[in-house]
Amino acid sequence: MMKNSNKGNGNMKKWFRSGSPWIWLSAGGVSISLISVLGLLWLIASKGLSYFWPADLHQFELLDEKGVRTTVIGEIYDRERIPASQLAHTGIKLKPNQETIERLLIKTGNRELVSLDFRWLLVPQIQSMITPEELVVIERRTNGNFYGYIDALVLDGKEVALSQLPQLQERVDEFQEQIEALQKTDIGAINYKLERLRLKERKHTLDNSLTPELIQRFEKSTEKLKNEYLQLEKKLMALRDEISRDQLIVRAMDGQQVTINFEHILQINYNNQMGLLDRTLMFMHQVSAFIVDDPREANTEGGVFPAIFGTVLMVLLMTVIVSPFGVIAAIYLHEYAGNNALTKLLRIAVINLAGVPSIVYGVFGLGFFVYMVGGSLDQLFYAETLPSPTFGTPGVMWSALTLAILTLPVVIVSTEEGLSRIPAAMRHGSLALGATKVETLWRIILPIASPAIMTGIILAIARAAGEVAPLMLVGVVKMAPNLPLDGNFPFLHLDRKFMHLGFHIYDVGFQSPNVEAARPLVYATALLLVTIIVSLNMTAVSIRNKLREKYRMLEH
Amino acid sequence: MISVTPNALADSPNKMDLENLSPEQIALEIKGLNLHYGNKQALQDITMSIPKGQVTAFIGPSGCGKSTLLRCINRMNDLVDICKITGEINLHGENIYGRHVDVAELRRKVGMVFQRPNPFPKSIYENVIYGLRIMGEKNRRVLDDAVETALKSAALWNEVKDRLHESALGLSGGQQQRLVIARAIAIQPEVLLLDEPTSALDPISTLVIEELINDLKKQFTVVIVTHNMQQAARVSDQTAFMYMGDLIEYSDTNTLFTMPTKKKTEDYITGRYG
Repeated sequence: MMKNSNKGNGNMKKWFRSGSPWIWLSAGGVSISLISVLGLLWLIASKGLSYFWPADLHQFELLDEKGVRTTVIGEIYDRERIPASQLAHTGIKLKPNQETIERLLIKTGNRELVSLDFRWLLVPQIQSMITPEELVVIERRTNGNFYGYIDALVLDGKEVALSQLPQLQERVDEFQEQIEALQKTDIGAINYKLERLRLKERKHTLDNSLTPELIQRFEKSTEKLKNEYLQLEKKLMALRDEISRDQLIVRAMDGQQVTINFEHILQINYNNQMGLLDRTLMFMHQVSAFIVDDPREANTEGGVFPAIFGTVLMVLLMTVIVSPFGVIAAIYLHEYAGNNALTKLLRIAVINLAGVPSIVYGVFGLGFFVYMVGGSLDQLFYAETLPSPTFGTPGVMWSALTLAILTLPVVIVSTEEGLSRIPAAMRHGSLALGATKVETLWRIILPIASPAIMTGIILAIARAAGEVAPLMLVGVVKMAPNLPLDGNFPFLHLDRKFMHLGFHIYDVGFQSPNVEAARPLVYATALLLVTIIVSLNMTAVSIRNKLREKYRMLEH
Repeated sequence: MISVTPNALADSPNKMDLENLSPEQIALEIKGLNLHYGNKQALQDITMSIPKGQVTAFIGPSGCGKSTLLRCINRMNDLVDICKITGEINLHGENIYGRHVDVAELRRKVGMVFQRPNPFPKSIYENVIYGLRIMGEKNRRVLDDAVETALKSAALWNEVKDRLHESALGLSGGQQQRLVIARAIAIQPEVLLLDEPTSALDPISTLVIEELINDLKKQFTVVIVTHNMQQAARVSDQTAFMYMGDLIEYSDTNTLFTMPTKKKTEDYITGRYG
């Protein structure tokens, strides 16, 4: 007995000494990280992508405890079990021993008829559930979805057969495209030109250089632009008139007839008639629409294109700003600053900068960039627009600058590390050939250090793309009227505010009037944000790997 | 003792009176050179003349200061912060530690090859023309010619002529060292410093480099540091023996290896220490 336990102890000791427990421990650590990453991706992907899948449309017949019959049409969003005690006060009759009750969350849409898009149904109250093929879901520009049956189709004021629906939709789509082009591109450009003319005139007034001749010229151009504008407006009105003569008459769940103008309709789908292939196509279409469309209805519907664009543009600007500054600072610290107490202090300061909470950078950006620098720029160069600020207000440039400062330590630290890894033999070889220190830096050191610099940039991108808090102070808005890049000179408008996916998630998930409707959108947007950051990073990583291959050092 | 062939004992035509060289025969003149690393003195009052167009070897045990002395000649010791140098090294009668000397210019005249091959992570072609590029040479034909001449001088041309634009890091160690030599001679220096150029190489590569050194002295003054006495005996015309920062003995190679005048030299070359 004694002997046995001794032997067991010995084995245990041996096992410990062999190092196996540590291998198991580290493998466990790796698995946990892997599982959490995959779990995170799986959660946001499944929840986010299911938002785009065309679900079955159901019609429910309900009978409540008072004996009232109602009909509900919609799609099932969620189902859950709640404790029966929660419903005790409602007077629902339960089986004696029943502890939980199942309930369904149904999206019923039809905002013009009922105030809420969503409705909870208690399963015991459901008498029947059918999925009729004639049920449609109509996606609209305003008021959300409409669920119901199509009763009639009105084309150009005359009722026509239902079979003409596809042609009609095509016709309407064409009109919509024309209207959009007119509104966004042509009329937008004219408005922009008019504003610039007004500013030019004001500038002359401020400079006291406004001659009668100039006034005349300005008036003439303004007149011309206004005429153009009026013509475009007329065209727009005509299009609108034409489109408004096409209508759809639909019947809602309670039998009410509703007339919907085609100009409000985006899509009409018979979800229940769709097979797997149709649904997949539909799903792809919805996903791509989410990526390329503008948001609608306080961001709770439609796509997120401006937010994608804003995020990517801001990150790219930030990269362009942070890379040279970070590299120059690292070169100075490593090559020129000498090895004294001041340098050490500087290095510690730089490393500690990385630990400052990001919102502090936001406050700094607002105080320094926006108010001080931007305010001064406005005084100097944009006096004509005052009191409305140009650069003295949050914008995409200040956001990029603020994030550049935030990510500067990352670039400095990794560049310095790269510089210190270069063997002295490389420097000596170059110096011995009559190169000066600067020539050695440009021709030998920087190319060899470029993979390390890229690593710094990758880390900077990863950090900056996920940062939201400071941006709320220096440039991100819920809804930006235009993109920072458009067809009007000077094309890139760095003073404009922009939308950002990170802020979009926060806004949609917590600030929107319709949180239930927005929840899947939050997951979808999160998935998109992750995808974008990963693809930005992968691009940088592949560049780095190419550089690494090129400047592969000898294994000394 | 190192065996030197008997006829080498006789006065060879190369033999020079190192004490009384005429100014035209001198490539480098070192006068009263002292070097301190912080508080430690690494070179003590070195005075010697290195003759033109010959191979001069520095030998001695590790830490004797032979590499340090070599690095003084093209001022590579400037890179060490705590290094202080007094005395003179004259190139064309001008002190290279003088006030108005352009160090980069000096290093173009005094090329250097290090212990370990250190080709740049660029193509073979780019490695060879690096010095010319620094000097601002852009003419493609001049560069092409320089590459061919330098690689031929370094006995590497036949091995690499078909892959000039491939990475230099794909070459073997011995080829890399010859490439580094080609890189150094492409800018036509007057003096070529070799700091233990074969210590990281296999015997066959070493042999190739030694043969190369013999050819190089036709064009350049070569100064070589080696810890390998046989190598010094094989390749050099003059040999200087250093010990603890002192120049103990400096004479033509045959004399030094066969009839050393100092006890320390004899002890070293007979293998009693080092």
